[in-house]
Amino acid sequence: MEGDIGTVALRRDRRQEDLAVPAGPDGLRQPPGEGSRPRPLRFYLLAGAILAALGCLDTLAELPLWRQTPALATVNLIMSLAFILTGLLLRTEPGQRGVAWALILAGVFRSLDFIDAWNAGPLPVYAVVFGGIDRVFGAYAVLRYLRPALGRLQRIYVLVLAGWMVVSRSLVVVTTTATATGYPASSWWPTITVNERLSDLLATIENIGDGVLAIVLVVLLVRRLLETRGLDRIVIAPVIAAGLAAVAAASVTAVAQVFANISEGPTGAFVAESVVDVLLPVAFLGAVIQRGLLARNLAGLSARVAGGADLRGVRHALRETLHDPTLEVLPGTATPRPRADSRLVEVIRTDAGTPIAVVTADAALARYRGLFDAAVRTSGLALRNAQLQAEAARAELDSVRASRARIVTAALAERRRLERDLHDGAQQHLLGLAARLTVAMSRTSDPEATAAFAEARAGLGEVLAELRDLAHGIHPATLVQGGLAAALEEVAERLPLAIHLDVAPDRAPATVEAAAYFAACEALTNAVKHARASQVSVVVRVTATHVEMEIADDGAGGADPAGNGLANIADRIGAVDGEAVIDSPPDDGTRLLVRIPCG
Amino acid sequence: MRIAIADDSALFRSGLVLLLEASGAQVTAQASSGAELIARIFPGTARADAVILDLRMPPTFTGEGISTAAEIRARDPGIGILVLSTFAEASYASRLMDAVGHGVGYLLKDNVTDAGHLLSQLERIVAGETVLDPTVVRRLLQRKRSAGTIDTLNPRERAVLARMAEGRSNVGIAQDLHLSPRTVEAHVTSVFGKLGLEQTDTDNNRIRAVLAFLRSARARG
Repeated sequence: MEGDIGTVALRRDRRQEDLAVPAGPDGLRQPPGEGSRPRPLRFYLLAGAILAALGCLDTLAELPLWRQTPALATVNLIMSLAFILTGLLLRTEPGQRGVAWALILAGVFRSLDFIDAWNAGPLPVYAVVFGGIDRVFGAYAVLRYLRPALGRLQRIYVLVLAGWMVVSRSLVVVTTTATATGYPASSWWPTITVNERLSDLLATIENIGDGVLAIVLVVLLVRRLLETRGLDRIVIAPVIAAGLAAVAAASVTAVAQVFANISEGPTGAFVAESVVDVLLPVAFLGAVIQRGLLARNLAGLSARVAGGADLRGVRHALRETLHDPTLEVLPGTATPRPRADSRLVEVIRTDAGTPIAVVTADAALARYRGLFDAAVRTSGLALRNAQLQAEAARAELDSVRASRARIVTAALAERRRLERDLHDGAQQHLLGLAARLTVAMSRTSDPEATAAFAEARAGLGEVLAELRDLAHGIHPATLVQGGLAAALEEVAERLPLAIHLDVAPDRAPATVEAAAYFAACEALTNAVKHARASQVSVVVRVTATHVEMEIADDGAGGADPAGNGLANIADRIGAVDGEAVIDSPPDDGTRLLVRIPCG
Repeated sequence: MRIAIADDSALFRSGLVLLLEASGAQVTAQASSGAELIARIFPGTARADAVILDLRMPPTFTGEGISTAAEIRARDPGIGILVLSTFAEASYASRLMDAVGHGVGYLLKDNVTDAGHLLSQLERIVAGETVLDPTVVRRLLQRKRSAGTIDTLNPRERAVLARMAEGRSNVGIAQDLHLSPRTVEAHVTSVFGKLGLEQTDTDNNRIRAVLAFLRSARARG
């Protein structure tokens, strides 16, 4: 991928360069990203060993359970190992080591949950008092996930939960006996006083407290989901959902326990709860995989911007790909708007280092830096391509313009040369002949010869008149000499309608004057021939940069802009990079506005 | 009459020389540019009563005839100047009149067919009158104007003014229009009045009237 990006150089800060080095030998130092980098073999060996060891511990802990309820034992084993495996995998997620440890500890404590099945020594007491401690770690993991640390409220909650779990159950234990709780009398039991009513009361308080804490957890989880945004939300949603499911399952089990009121506890409910609890590590694993899969969004991004894209298009594509509606793509020259929170800023540059665009995004995307960088690079490539295409098109346009300007200039020079050749050559020649003819005529007294001479001279006069009109039509001499003002006066002299001329005497480049002149002739001809106007005004202004001409008549209007005459005007003006606008409402005269750049 | 000619077309020039000499005029100098002609006539070797200048001559083939006319007039206030051209546009005639003032004419080469007529036009010019080609005058009259002093003239007065511009005398105008010389004189006075000219200096007024006529072509509006 790096090679493909040759045309786009991304600016990266030093911190990132440092982080971009491959994972160290310990296999844990990963660059920030989507956790999709390959893990070394050592990691798998170590993880396998840990899992095997804890698996053995769990099997040993719940050995009697295998005989009593193998289904519960199996589910519990799978559940414990799933937590531990997930914890091990999460250890490499940047900033998530706390979550990883919480999951591992949850798995370890989970594996000890049914150690009371041994029915010996202090194991039943341990199970009753510490049986719910895995939930504390589970709650910690879910609340802490994708956060650098727990929030204050969450920290208080986790501490209260842990305290409540141990204290409330300890109180119940010391007010009852092993047999009353359903364990053999041989078990060690720290009874202080046996008071059934007190014990029942404490159990009720314990259940109510558990219920309240469960509700608070639900609130915290929902809040957590709502406060995340963008890619984080996509990643965290299944984890929160699994957490909510686990709370629900635990609550159902507790309710079942209370209503069933049997000392052994409802095995079916335990199995069901465990199955639901498995969702939690699965959701964490899913989240890890999801983060890895985000890279596939890049394929969609590439496809969207492949054909070249403008800043808006890239912004839209990046917003969708990175799920960040605050993402902005600014022109390369812009300075990003300062914002209260520190935002990710990336500059897309050309080979030469000229900035093309600046991308700013939500700081939360720092957790997806690899994805972000790749997406920005892909967009940069598209922008660069678009820029190259635009440059090529502009160069082509420039060359077409230049060649057109040369053609216009050459055509004008050619017309002027033709006009001069006609005037100084053929016309003068014929005029000389006419003079000689006159002399010859005066020298003869023969009536027939005189008549022939007269006829020849009359014919010559007609030819001369035609020639003069022809030369004038090719290029009026007045235009060269007197500019638009003189040439348009001359046109006005020839036309049979009242013309109000307001023409600046200033001169403009010859091609501009010629284009304006012929456009004016066309418009005036239209005013006479088609619009049957009685009055027409011609206003010409010459500035340093433009020649502006307005021709308005009081004729019939309703001229067809696609018609021959108007198309001719548009072509002539367009050939010198000018604009011609025609306004010709029916029955309200015709107005032609022409604006031609000089130079 | 001694005439000097500047025209870059040798063929037309020789035709013109033939025409003038056939009608008894004397061509004292010929040149193919204005500068050349000035160099010929002003050391005094080739004196002339009138010069005939081509409008477009080397080096730029634009309005050399007019600038040459102005220079000649500056050197010799008494010499008659006729500019010949193939362009019937009033703007040239107008610029010529502005540059030279009096004793000047603007004729189309196409209309230079009658040697006797050409010579009589030159005589008027030498006498200080202003002569304008009938084609130019006709086009000025054809042109419709939205407003202007000339519009205050009635058709008869316009006809008289047009003929004045062509260099016709009151008697000539009277013949052309089948009017008595007295009536023509009344019209002329009326034209002067409408154009705001003093009644005293009739000769100069004729020139001024023609100039006003030409300027009306250039006036915008």
